[in-house]
Amino acid sequence: MAPEPDVTSLSNPLATVEQLSTSSSQLDGVPPDLENSLRFAGAQLTQAAGILLRLPQDIIAQAIVIFYRFYVGSEGGSFRINALKDVSAASLYMTAKISFVPQSTRSVLNVYAYLTSSTSPLRQPSETSAKPNPESYYLSEGSYQSARATLLQTESILLRALSFITQVTLPHHLALTYLQTLGVLPPTPTVKSTALAARTLAYLNTGLFSPQLLYLTHQPSALAVAAIYLAAREVGVRLTSAEWWEVFDVDREELGFLVVGLGSCEGWIKGEKGRWLGKSCPLTLEELETEL
Amino acid sequence: MTSQTKSRWADDEEDAALEAQRKREKELKKKAKAEKQRKLEEEEILRKKNFAGATAASEDGVSAHDEVDAELGRPSKRRRLSPEQDQARVEPASAKPLRFPAPEWGPCRHVDNFEKLNHIEEGSYGWVSRAKEIATGDVVALKKLKMDNAIDGFPVTGLREIQTLMASRHENIVALREVVMGDKLDDVFLVMDFLEHDLKTLQEDMLDGFSPSEIKTLLLQLTSAVEYLHSNWILHRDLKTSNLLMNNRGQMKVADFGMARYYGDPPPKLTQLVVTLWYRAPELLLGAEKYGAEIDLWSVGCIFGELLTKQPLLQGKNEVDQLAKIFELCGIPTEATWPGFKRLPNARSLRLPNTHQTTGAVIRAKFPLLTNAGTALLTSLLSLNPAQRPTASEVLTHPYFKEDPRPKSTAIFPTFPSKAGQEKRRRVASPSAPKRGDAPKIVGDAADFSGIFADRDEEEVGGGFALKLI
Repeated sequence: MAPEPDVTSLSNPLATVEQLSTSSSQLDGVPPDLENSLRFAGAQLTQAAGILLRLPQDIIAQAIVIFYRFYVGSEGGSFRINALKDVSAASLYMTAKISFVPQSTRSVLNVYAYLTSSTSPLRQPSETSAKPNPESYYLSEGSYQSARATLLQTESILLRALSFITQVTLPHHLALTYLQTLGVLPPTPTVKSTALAARTLAYLNTGLFSPQLLYLTHQPSALAVAAIYLAAREVGVRLTSAEWWEVFDVDREELGFLVVGLGSCEGWIKGEKGRWLGKSCPLTLEELETEL
Repeated sequence: MTSQTKSRWADDEEDAALEAQRKREKELKKKAKAEKQRKLEEEEILRKKNFAGATAASEDGVSAHDEVDAELGRPSKRRRLSPEQDQARVEPASAKPLRFPAPEWGPCRHVDNFEKLNHIEEGSYGWVSRAKEIATGDVVALKKLKMDNAIDGFPVTGLREIQTLMASRHENIVALREVVMGDKLDDVFLVMDFLEHDLKTLQEDMLDGFSPSEIKTLLLQLTSAVEYLHSNWILHRDLKTSNLLMNNRGQMKVADFGMARYYGDPPPKLTQLVVTLWYRAPELLLGAEKYGAEIDLWSVGCIFGELLTKQPLLQGKNEVDQLAKIFELCGIPTEATWPGFKRLPNARSLRLPNTHQTTGAVIRAKFPLLTNAGTALLTSLLSLNPAQRPTASEVLTHPYFKEDPRPKSTAIFPTFPSKAGQEKRRRVASPSAPKRGDAPKIVGDAADFSGIFADRDEEEVGGGFALKLI
């Protein structure tokens, strides 16, 4: 018998059924729909902070997955104990630390002070273009020191809850390899092949915000295949008529589930925007207590 | 002021009470949930049992077979297969997809699950002790991570050690079983396989050192671990004999990933302050900011030499002395043998003699008992120019391992007694891995090597008489 191929570097740890059926936050009295909103707000905050820190998307995506992993399961973190803005900052700081582009605590905390301030663009509906007020996000030396202590402590709490599993395998690079294997990425890119690759990556990045926690329930290969399927249909690229997803170890049922899951993200995000129009999703512990 | 303090006091107490109350409620809810889950699972099992019973009953012939099998005490194969066969009929000729491993995660366990037996040694990045897992009785090595460099939070070296060790599953790399924590957030322990010996102490306690066939086996094991790491984009950056552990079944495992990290192509800018001095490659000593897998192969070359002579090959007292020892053994680099070395940061202050030494000659003279293929391998591993060093996979296919004596099978490897002091390792004076900080600069006259080969012509040539295997 051929030896089992070592595919650990292509796979992710996945959440168990128990971890998905209950969460520490729900046990603390956070209603499930608010929990979904909080997860979404955390992912959005992490993405925005990553962009402001000019981090590559792969590091931002890994940080978002780490953030989700922390809040899952009854033994995971609770939104009422560990504020989502702190966990988001710790995920991003820790992920950047072990990457090629480490960030200083000061840069990270400055960006989070800006994004969580009262006049931050994340707090306002996108229509108003009022300029954020610098006084609202100035980080004094005193508040920097205390924020830094919180950041470093949250990092340790995060690592303990994940039992130090920091590995996150992303589907992005797999998707590009799959597209090449399918023969739809010619060496000299065409308008269509560029659009196809861009839409595939866009679907994968949007999938990061899914309330179904797709990155915690499905392996990277399945996510990549589903994103390619959707993007090819949208851009109008004909893939082979055979059941090509089986070549990438994804069965029809899983593909169907993920196509619906990735496809429904847009509607869910629009719904979230509408839900928090005119007010802000609670980012700090105090705001969450008021909301509850 | 006072009233404020008072009210704060009251707040705190109230808070604490509330917190405790909340915690109790949460515990109860958790228990209720777990109970519910358990019941669900039981129902599921019951349902499955009924289902299995039904299928067995529906196929009378099969169940009759099963009963016969059961009477004969053989495991019944047909019964387990029958539901799958049904499925196969519905979905014919479907390829079997590869299932990816999906490990789970949960909070770290407490270190109290282990009983400490005895202290082993203090490495560069933590304390190691032998311990027993209470539940299973397994003997493991517990390594406590040093947290003193905690200005930036959890030390990045510790994170990288865990990250790279978790990603490495190879028979010649020590396995990280889990990470456990103590009472405080900065008590972090790595639970690893326990191995009886390390190669350094083992070699020091031996009378004659390893035989040529044993050296080949050891070198092959080391190189296959290094090849695995490099093919997974991991640099070890601290290969040395004291980091190579041995069990009593002839198996060697690479340990101590305190310096390991992921790298890339093109190589990212990395610190030069890596690898224990005696095993450090010349490009690191010369201050190269970009380096790659070649530095690990230099260390492999140093270990090869050490296995042959029972002595560390290049025992420099400091960075400059180390370079001098390297140049003595391997010759002086020139623009022809190592294009571009003069542009390395520390090379500018070097004053090198103009004599040309052929590297093979010195190495051949130092290892008179080594065969031609062995000398060729050692010389290529100790190439000053990193581009000329072989890759780990090239080493594995080197003719040296094909010629007699063949590598000794691990099954007939000698075993070594554990010392009376149990696995407590003796600390012998030898340098440890560099600490984090600024890389040393070599400046001024300290780096005057023009005298290295000054008296070479007057030296006695030849190492007396020794039988040589050709």
